[in-house]
Amino acid sequence: MSKVSENFAKFCEKHPRLYACAVLAENAFKKPVFRCQDCGQCILSYTAFTCPMRCPKQMRNGPCGGTREDGRCEVYPERHCIWWLIYRRAKRMGRLKKLRRIQKPVDRRLQHTSAWLNVFAGKIDPPSWGKD
Amino acid sequence: MKSGSNLERLLRAGHFAVCGEMSPPQSADSSSIAKKCGYFKGYVDAVNLTDNQTAIVRMSSVMSSYYVLQCGVEPIMQMTCRDRNRLAIQSDILGACSAGIKNILCLTGDHMKFGNHPEAKPVFDLDAVQLIQMVKKMRDEKQFLSGDEIKQEPKVFIGGAANPFGEPFEMRVLNLAKKIDAGADFIQTQPVFDLARFQKWMDAVREEGLDKEVFILAGVMPVRSAKALHYMKESVPGMRISDDYIKRMEAITDKEAAMEEGVKIAVEIISEVRQMPGVAGVHIMPVMWESITPRIVEQAGLLPRPELPADEPAVTGLER
Ligand code: SF4
Repeated sequence: MSKVSENFAKFCEKHPRLYACAVLAENAFKKPVFRCQDCGQCILSYTAFTCPMRCPKQMRNGPCGGTREDGRCEVYPERHCIWWLIYRRAKRMGRLKKLRRIQKPVDRRLQHTSAWLNVFAGKIDPPSWGKD
Repeated sequence: MKSGSNLERLLRAGHFAVCGEMSPPQSADSSSIAKKCGYFKGYVDAVNLTDNQTAIVRMSSVMSSYYVLQCGVEPIMQMTCRDRNRLAIQSDILGACSAGIKNILCLTGDHMKFGNHPEAKPVFDLDAVQLIQMVKKMRDEKQFLSGDEIKQEPKVFIGGAANPFGEPFEMRVLNLAKKIDAGADFIQTQPVFDLARFQKWMDAVREEGLDKEVFILAGVMPVRSAKALHYMKESVPGMRISDDYIKRMEAITDKEAAMEEGVKIAVEIISEVRQMPGVAGVHIMPVMWESITPRIVEQAGLLPRPELPADEPAVTGLER
């Protein structure tokens, strides 16, 4: 990320109220649109803009063995398996190759922080916007 | 040679491997383990010790693997992400390796909702792919996940699981590829009860050349009754059971005869998967019926099990 955005992120981190506003703005968008779970290290661009943290096992690298034939989750049959949705959307959007990337273990310290500012500050990997 | 385990040596030497499976006791008494080892010694090359399978509390897979080792049988210690965070997993692996355990099967784990403590906190700090990657880092880079140095690295043969029968199908091949990228040396599949689907998965695996990069052991589960098959079909998500087997089991009313039929089906499945290129072995996993293992191995024509001297370097063209 550029120096400007890095400085902006640092500036926000030094000002708790401003930071809270940034988090609020991010959540106001990502929560209703993506049902974001606020892990602070967004991989939406890799998972066809579908948040994998809603999976009861928090699988970030693909489905567990239990996805049902109709695409429902093994733990909560009333929901779709999140990876079944991710796969379907990735296929439709031409983003299947992005699923192949190994996602690192979650840094639990970043929970409830702003993923956008974390990208600016260089704390997490930047998103991958383009198609495959 | 990454671990020098019996399983690794046999696979690298090109033998068709046979694994068994044992559930540790739901008790503080380990004597049943020694008894069950009798069903495995000389009949299988290594035996899986499950880690609180289906989220029901049992003796830890670390300790039970240790007992199995003492009985002269090689353990494959299962390690799930459900109950331990990254610290606990790493420390358990160090402990296990210090005791001589050389095979670890890395799994995400069944959700607690299915077990006897559904109200427990799900950990899932890592997922199976990240776990495999972590163990590989410990072994090959001599580093903990944090990057800190490990003086004596755990020399283990790293396993992962694959489910050729889950949905979406294409994702199942991609998942295998990711586990290989992460560092899996061998793969055990969910039990095969749908040969056509397994064949389809193997075709896709071979097409990507993945069978050359990892040893694939097909799961085989002998069942005693049609009821068991029905149960799995209806209540175990991600399983596929072909109606043929259900019909065959249903046609038999006598309990003893049904067990015979179950053995026959298992033996048939073994001989079918054995024919498929890219299948490096089988993993026989009777649930609460370990005593049937020797008969299945024998009837499948897999006896005697090959023995390799411990220090013989494997001669092989298979670089995996
Ligand atoms: S079925 Fe899908 S959503 Fe449910 S636990 Fe498995 S991976 Fe997660």
